[in-house]
Amino acid sequence: MISRFSLVVVGVVASAVVGVGVVRLSAAPAKGAIAPVPAQRDDGEIRFNRDVRPILSDSCFLCHGPDKNNRKAKLRLDDREVALAKGAIVPGDVEKSEVVKRLFTKDPDDVMPPPDSGRKITAGQRETLKKWIAAGAKYEPHWAYVPPVRPVVPEAKDKGWVRNPIDAFILEALEAKNIKPSAEADRRTLLRRVSLDLIGLPPTAAEVEAFVNDKSPDAYEKQVDRLLASPHYGERMAVAWLDLARFADTVGYHGDQNQRNFPYRDYVINAFNNDKPFDQFTIEQLAGDLLPDPTIEQRVATGFNRQNMVTREGGAQPGEYLAKYMGDRVRTVSTTFLGSTMACCECHDHKFDPFSTKDFYSLGAFFNDMKQWGVYMDYSYTPNPDLRGFSNDHPFPPEIQVESPYLKRRMSKLRGRIEELAKGSAGKRAGDAKQTATFEEWCASAREFLSKSPTGWLIPPAAHVAAAAAAPTAKSGSGSKSAATASVPEAQVNADGTVVFLTTAKKGADQQVALTLPGGWVSAVRMEILPHAKTGTAANRRPPARGITVTLAASLKPKSGGRESKLAFYYADADHKEARYANGFDILGVQTGWKLANDAATTEQTAVYLLDKPFRAAEGDKLILSIKGDVNAVRFAVSPLASERAIDPDLAGRVTKALAVKGTDGPAGVATTYLISTGHDAEAFERYKPLHRELLECRDGKAWTMVTEARAGAPTTQRVLPRGNWQDESGEIVEPATPHFLAQLPDAGKRRLTRLDLAKWIVSKGNPLTARTFVNRLWKQFYGNALSALVDDLGAQGEPPSHPDLLDWLAVEFESGWDVKHMVRLMVTSATYRQCSSLRPELHDVDPNNRLLASQNPRRLEAEFVRDNALAIAGLLDTDIGGPSAHPYQPAGYYANIQFPTRDYYPDLDERQYRRGLYTHWQRTFMHPMLANFDAPSREECTACRNVSNTPQQALTLLNDPSFVEAARVLATRLLNGGAGDDGARLDTIFKDALLRPIKANEAESLKRFLAEQRSYYKANPDDAKKLIAVGIAPTPTSPDAAELAAWTTVCRVVLNLHETITRY
Amino acid sequence: MTYNEQRHFRSINRRSFLTQSAYGIGAMALASLLNPVGGAARAMGAVTPLPASGAGAGGRWRGVVNPTHFPVKAKRIIHLCMAGGPSHLETFDFKPRLKELDGKAFPASFTAGQQLAQLQNTELKARGPFCEFKRCGQSGAEISNLFPHIQGLADELCIVRSMHTEQINHDPAHAFFNSGSSIKGRPSMGSWLLYGLGAETDNLPGFVVLTSAGKTGLQPVSARQWSAGFLPSKFQGIQFQSKGDAVHYIGNPDGVCQSTQRQVIEEIQRLNGMAEADHVDPEIATRIAQYELAFKMQASVPELSDFKSEPKAILEMYGVKQPGDGSFASNCLMARRLAERGVRFIQLYHRAWDHHTGIVPGMTSAAADCDQPTAALIQDLKNRGLLDDTLVLWGGEFGRTPMGQGTGRDHHILAFSLFMAGGGIKPGVTYGETDELGYRAAVNKVHVHDLHATMLQLCGIDHKRLTFRAQGRDFRLTDVSGEVIKPILA
Repeated sequence: MISRFSLVVVGVVASAVVGVGVVRLSAAPAKGAIAPVPAQRDDGEIRFNRDVRPILSDSCFLCHGPDKNNRKAKLRLDDREVALAKGAIVPGDVEKSEVVKRLFTKDPDDVMPPPDSGRKITAGQRETLKKWIAAGAKYEPHWAYVPPVRPVVPEAKDKGWVRNPIDAFILEALEAKNIKPSAEADRRTLLRRVSLDLIGLPPTAAEVEAFVNDKSPDAYEKQVDRLLASPHYGERMAVAWLDLARFADTVGYHGDQNQRNFPYRDYVINAFNNDKPFDQFTIEQLAGDLLPDPTIEQRVATGFNRQNMVTREGGAQPGEYLAKYMGDRVRTVSTTFLGSTMACCECHDHKFDPFSTKDFYSLGAFFNDMKQWGVYMDYSYTPNPDLRGFSNDHPFPPEIQVESPYLKRRMSKLRGRIEELAKGSAGKRAGDAKQTATFEEWCASAREFLSKSPTGWLIPPAAHVAAAAAAPTAKSGSGSKSAATASVPEAQVNADGTVVFLTTAKKGADQQVALTLPGGWVSAVRMEILPHAKTGTAANRRPPARGITVTLAASLKPKSGGRESKLAFYYADADHKEARYANGFDILGVQTGWKLANDAATTEQTAVYLLDKPFRAAEGDKLILSIKGDVNAVRFAVSPLASERAIDPDLAGRVTKALAVKGTDGPAGVATTYLISTGHDAEAFERYKPLHRELLECRDGKAWTMVTEARAGAPTTQRVLPRGNWQDESGEIVEPATPHFLAQLPDAGKRRLTRLDLAKWIVSKGNPLTARTFVNRLWKQFYGNALSALVDDLGAQGEPPSHPDLLDWLAVEFESGWDVKHMVRLMVTSATYRQCSSLRPELHDVDPNNRLLASQNPRRLEAEFVRDNALAIAGLLDTDIGGPSAHPYQPAGYYANIQFPTRDYYPDLDERQYRRGLYTHWQRTFMHPMLANFDAPSREECTACRNVSNTPQQALTLLNDPSFVEAARVLATRLLNGGAGDDGARLDTIFKDALLRPIKANEAESLKRFLAEQRSYYKANPDDAKKLIAVGIAPTPTSPDAAELAAWTTVCRVVLNLHETITRY
Repeated sequence: MTYNEQRHFRSINRRSFLTQSAYGIGAMALASLLNPVGGAARAMGAVTPLPASGAGAGGRWRGVVNPTHFPVKAKRIIHLCMAGGPSHLETFDFKPRLKELDGKAFPASFTAGQQLAQLQNTELKARGPFCEFKRCGQSGAEISNLFPHIQGLADELCIVRSMHTEQINHDPAHAFFNSGSSIKGRPSMGSWLLYGLGAETDNLPGFVVLTSAGKTGLQPVSARQWSAGFLPSKFQGIQFQSKGDAVHYIGNPDGVCQSTQRQVIEEIQRLNGMAEADHVDPEIATRIAQYELAFKMQASVPELSDFKSEPKAILEMYGVKQPGDGSFASNCLMARRLAERGVRFIQLYHRAWDHHTGIVPGMTSAAADCDQPTAALIQDLKNRGLLDDTLVLWGGEFGRTPMGQGTGRDHHILAFSLFMAGGGIKPGVTYGETDELGYRAAVNKVHVHDLHATMLQLCGIDHKRLTFRAQGRDFRLTDVSGEVIKPILA
């Protein structure tokens, strides 16, 4: 679809119609037509955009700019026509220009800017304005609002240095100042740099050696290709995008409950890995649900619109919060895609840029078709019938359920571990006659049981235990007569084992049923809840059984007359059930409560409970089952077999088949069933349970994720909210529309525009902002500074680019195919990128902030990569991709101030402890302190640019956070167990592992002295040594010697704390 | 003439100097923070040398408002944040007329068109104050009998009864009270103060937060309330934990004693120093200084948290049962210790005041938690000569409705009360009035922005001149308004 229309620019300069262009929507644009670049080259003239606009914007536009409500004397200085008409500016005539008079007068009543405005203008700036007026007061449209055209790549003198067009632009500016670029960084530095930049992980020592020794001319390019193809590239690139998308695990407001959204993070990682074209990436996230026949992936992508903070606080007004959500989306879209600060326009027209209040609400109106609620709860004072029954534990709809490859991988990993456990157990008994005999006996009894009860279930004779008899004071030794002891029968027991509760049964009381066991193993208990029609009696006490939660307790009363003992269930599941939630996630199983399925009220519902300690019953032992919850009728069965799933209709058949196979040491294939059905190997069984739990937590490889869905009916009406006041309904009604002064969509004004239109407009050729915004941010990622330094503001208050032509060249190149990897490759293979990063003191005066890039800039790693780097150096890093958030160690009690629901934090105790930083559970109100200390944003708002601070809290983190201490001790263990070597060689190895370079003589000398001190300390203090080498969950090694390991751990702590370790040079 | 980056830099220098260092936004700010006088001044000038090279000697941040705009009356602020929103009608704003109306329909003329929270769509009934008030001290200030100890200090207090705010739910209202905006990402007042005035101690964070909780009326409180927002994170509040280490990662790892830790840090410093000779990278010097500060903090916090030096009489005065037990009383005593040690902004949250239901027992209990420790803190500061230059602020994020909500009161933003003491505020004053039913601030209204302007003024800062450039504009704590309340200045 190619539409031609006039590109109307109602510019900053009202009189300047910038041009006519072609907007291509959705079709991949052809390579941009090469046109002469707008004259941005310096010709000695005062240039409006570079020299004048910043002064006017900073000092004048507040009162004489785009904001009509704040305008003084009806004068605009951002609009040439008005400025001239009002006599403020008389082109060429400095004396007659009122602006000049006001700038230079000594009269405090007349002088501009007014003294009380707090705005100051320097003498130099006054002169600049004077010169500009003298030269004719030429205006230019703001650079960022003019669609970029591909500039001619300059011809630099030193052609040999130029590797690609980036270098030509950079070198041209350097040569103009007679500055030579820096030498190329050495290969070790270079590979570490590009590796940390592209995948957020250091290379291995071996990779560095291979690169150092690779003599081929494209050795570096090969490394870049390798890194771009790495699945970790997507993880690295995702971090910046997730800041923009304000991706977090919790909702942010009030109770800061969990929300379910990790598949969106996976989408972002995959999109970068698969090099999804940026236009498609944009469209899918903003409007994937509106595409024809959207794929699951495209629907997951729309999670982007759902990452705004939301509330379910009591007393919150839906209208107020819907306005907040809308404001957030406008800020997010304008920052992420337009590099513009539209936040101001929620209350007033932008004071410096031409965005109006109407633009703000018109952009917000695009999202008014979304299914969403201001308050995710149903309160009496703000009823919400859509979310009836919701609690603080519920998730945040709409959501869809998707497959998670990570969870599938994890399931097979866990299954493998369970099998290993069972095999290990089988191995132990193989050499033990007694255990072998027990096993064979079990096999025989199981065969016999299955031949009699091919379903795997046996319904023992049941009796109702009347309430009186059930009371603890009752001494009745026999359950059989208990029913008779009650004066009025409360239940009737049928021949098929069904216990029907009568109307006489006390409501709300626990009801007990006693089963007389036939003898043999009991591993599982089945409870059927039977509806009215099946009971054969009209004596329902609660017809039908629905909407209630049933819990089951059990105890065993030996026939021999011993004490009744309580039995516990470690897991139970039901075939029909309503979800129960705890802080946003479905509670696994029904062992803590079985909420009967509403839609199955008139059918049988079955739950199976697995015994925490399976037991071997003697014939006549009684199993007493206590039911909480007013059910209608129940029937119980028992089984000697247990399955990991609890409800497993295939279990009996599977075991029957397996038991029929004769092996040398008994039937193979039943090892796991034997283990979990009997718990015969108590140690293995106890290790099985957490693995089993983890396996269930994988939820069959499926996960829920928040998505955008269109609401039923028409989109909600959007008004301009005067001064942002959500209660003021006097503002005009607006339709979805893109900012008025930029190129408009062809259908604008003809029909209601949709989110899909917005997305396509964002990536259309007529949009001057999107490509510039993206490449400018990307530049910052690889060069430390962006070309226009304020990545979140390309407007008048932003910075004119240091290399305007280069920025435009990159933008046009990007737009020509929206190929992100292509842009990344261009940037990191340039000679500019490869320069040495030592700053150059001789350039302090000419280029104080290295904006000309006569060298690379060093860059401290971002929070996530500070963590990843340490774990990678230690060899602890879990390199799996995607999946749910992980829980690294965190100081205790950190969530004490969170409520609704109250919660605690449980660190992961398996390999997930070592997952990459980007997977860290992101609690918006209480960020993980390690991430917060290293400037990761809380993601309450769209963030385009992180702070880079250097604080004592960072030092404390690297010194004392158990993650880093554990990394040090694991690194030390590997070093000491990694073969012989003297201290010097070992120190060198640490440096090669951590810093990818050999140790220097002075460093080695210092560390040897330090090592000696530590050795003597830990030899003298063996208890301290033992404590230090046990930090974290990694197994404490038995060798080497604790004191020696502690001493080296301390050395490794030093290395992991070095500035060089957390810096990419 | 070629591209003139000199001029280019000049034109952009002032607004974006913080964004242009080798490490991007903020880094240079931080570098210059270490040597703010030199660094910031240089950065402001036309030519900026490499930031802070050699400035890492560890000089503490002395603030951007240096010298101060006005004489400094309050060197530090202790904010006793009564989280949840205490009822003004049972604390400092006695309304006999409301008492008469108790249980009767609340006049619709007051409430028409107003935003309500949980009372939305319900029949509105007046709820009279459940407790008695007393005129106290020379000043005759009316203070409820729930606060007998505070009553005894009436002549030290400046009570403001005409507060109003803009946000009706806890989280945004806290954000508004702390940062002057309900939009996330704005610096809190503690961060502004630290940024403006700098720190008086190297050994402790300049902005410390402690939390405690009552028996009822609890609401969550987020760490964003003490966030530095877009200011460098150096200025964020540091929360002292009630469990475990007082400050995250302040304790040495297991098996590492203080002298070993000292050796580790010295070795890090030595090796970083060697790296400095090889890399021209000013951040190394900064890093070295930060490790030094970290060690000082590691050494100081245990001493700070050790209440052994506090005599029994002091513990009793505050009502501290067990020092460090996480109670408001213990936190008040800690606040005094922090104030003595030069911490600039100390914020104590007591989560206990959200009484939608059960206001009688709830407020009685919350008041009992806070009354004695608050009074003790003010008295103790006074006894030590610290009250003169310490501003104590007591109050919540909003007030509560004069209409009843079952057995409690709903959130209310049109009127609430708070008090201040010390630090250049006029003592023995009650400022402002609400209407006869305590529904709306009526006389001498004080908006949160006005309060902020006044607090900054007491700290020697013109609230209009403490700004930070972010997202293309200069931000300040008072947004675009705020008037200093001159009548309450001493």
